[in-house]
Amino acid sequence: MSRHITVSGVDLEIEEKGQGRPLLFLHPGEGLRPDHPWLDLLARYHRVIAPHHPGFGGSALPDWFGTVDDLAYLYLDLAAALQLQGAVLAGACFGGWVAAEIAVRNTQRFAALLLSAPLGIKVGGVLDRDITDMHAISRAEFMRLAWADPAKGEIDYTQLPETELAAIARGREALCVFGWKPYMHNPRLKHWLHRIGIPAHLLWGEQDGIVSLAYGEAWKAAIPGATFETIPDAGHYPHWEQPEAFARGLRAFTDRL
Amino acid sequence: MRTWYFSEMAYHPAWDKGLARGSLRVNFPNENVDPREAGTLLNRYLDEFALCDEAGLDIMVNEHHSTATCMTVSVPMALAVIARETKKARLLTLGNPIANRPDPVRVAEEMAWLDCLSGGRLEMGLVKGAPYEISPANSNPGRLMRRYWEAHDLILKALSTHTGPFSWEGEFFQYRAVNIWPRPIQQPTPPVWMTGMSMDTGRLAAEKGHVVGTLLSGGLAKPMYDAYRKRARELGWEAGPDRMAYAAIVGVGTTREEGLRRADSIADYVRTAPVVAEPFTNPPGYNSIGANVAMLKAGPRAHRMVTDRNGVPIDHRTATVHQFMDTDTVFAGTPDDVFAQLQAFNTRMGGVGHLLFFGQGGHLSHQDAKANITLFGKEVAPRLRELGAPTEAEAAE
Repeated sequence: MSRHITVSGVDLEIEEKGQGRPLLFLHPGEGLRPDHPWLDLLARYHRVIAPHHPGFGGSALPDWFGTVDDLAYLYLDLAAALQLQGAVLAGACFGGWVAAEIAVRNTQRFAALLLSAPLGIKVGGVLDRDITDMHAISRAEFMRLAWADPAKGEIDYTQLPETELAAIARGREALCVFGWKPYMHNPRLKHWLHRIGIPAHLLWGEQDGIVSLAYGEAWKAAIPGATFETIPDAGHYPHWEQPEAFARGLRAFTDRL
Repeated sequence: MRTWYFSEMAYHPAWDKGLARGSLRVNFPNENVDPREAGTLLNRYLDEFALCDEAGLDIMVNEHHSTATCMTVSVPMALAVIARETKKARLLTLGNPIANRPDPVRVAEEMAWLDCLSGGRLEMGLVKGAPYEISPANSNPGRLMRRYWEAHDLILKALSTHTGPFSWEGEFFQYRAVNIWPRPIQQPTPPVWMTGMSMDTGRLAAEKGHVVGTLLSGGLAKPMYDAYRKRARELGWEAGPDRMAYAAIVGVGTTREEGLRRADSIADYVRTAPVVAEPFTNPPGYNSIGANVAMLKAGPRAHRMVTDRNGVPIDHRTATVHQFMDTDTVFAGTPDDVFAQLQAFNTRMGGVGHLLFFGQGGHLSHQDAKANITLFGKEVAPRLRELGAPTEAEAAE
């Protein structure tokens, strides 16, 4: 069920479901899509708390708000407001970048960090494109790169109500506000990942065409003690494309805590 | 109605290859341009601009980037050449894409410099820029208009402040000592223009009192002009035709056939220029939420068309010169024909004070371009100058 909560003056829409160890889930640049099966699967073992990022869904994007730093502090304040303890901090794609920015700042309320194909770090040289320029390819090409089976991710926008379309358009703009330049990364973040002192696990779709397995290995190398797991028949969004395998990977990781 | 000649300074020799690739902009590699040929064309186009001074026309320059459709990469650079080659023509930038410029103070400096160089002949268009300009500039399409307005305010303050330096600590731009040298001749600033296609832009331009122009979109122009006039009245002033500008292709000839032939050749630009790879046509944030909802609802295969005066959709990529005339994209024929068409247009629009005369698309020969400018300047422009607000303007809502 979604509800609204005001944190640091920002009106946030959050989805909340299930019982168990709290799991703060930060969604990809494509949005939250709480109606997909992933949320129910994770809610079997967790109290899942999934905010819509400011500008996405029903969450407001105040004029003063506009960086990934802002998101990191906002979600630290959200975790405090909800009095989370020993929570799993999880993020996918753009949300993985935000989760890492949170984890380098403060892990007091978190027991573990799960990153699913995170964006956010710079690995290669100036001429290397670590992250596919999703805004320089057609929608069809994006779907081919982001999904092992693009048909699974297709959305018929012509059938959606206008309120939902407006939310999608607002979310797309918000993603640009947060991540346009430098493109979907923070050039300094890699140098702070050593600060992450909680267990960290990386999940990666084997057919991810947005960020490569080699990019995932660079994340693994930069976070002390991080583990790395790939998911077959999945692209950039394993929690949507292979929700059962994603839930199993998460469960195996949290069982070790 | 004043007339401002302009040309995109296109690199048309590469158009066929660009059309075959489905994009003439952004991702069309520059191996497709022969730099010597580019230089020859630039000199030819600049000669065509220079001719306007003798022909009694004013001059407008625009800029685009990473494209075979327009080689003007810098409005001030082109106008610097033209300012030296002309004596009387007023010189309009339409414009400076200020939401894509990292350094608005530099824009103010360039504009002041041009105003000095030209003896106070500058008119200064500050524009949002086309969607496919976002990528070459790598400017953030999110919050684009907020950045636009901050740059706009800073440029006007830099041009009009004489007791600086002043500091600026804004959301997008920060300076500690703004104090441009030289300052412009025209005070407080050279006349300011904007471009747009929406009623919102019309209202905003009215609040600033700027001239508002629109390009090749007859159906959209009237509601924008009406919104401008209505907002001005709400604010206690009457917006005359001098606040409204319209860009159209014009082909004029000693015979109707010659005028139509010239217009048809220039119109190849309009048939070509919209061809750009999909992701660059609508970066998120560039268009309003409402416009994006409409596009998502229409589906990915919908091609945006303009409509003619009877509401019939026209595809710019394949339109005939007569179809373009039905959308007010083209005015063509003998001098009498063109004057009559523009007079009727002026009445339909409720008074338009500035015609932006698109007189060279690329394919038009140098001889034809010169003849088009000369004939227009001699036979049409003087009569347009007498054309004020229509006596029976259509009632504005």
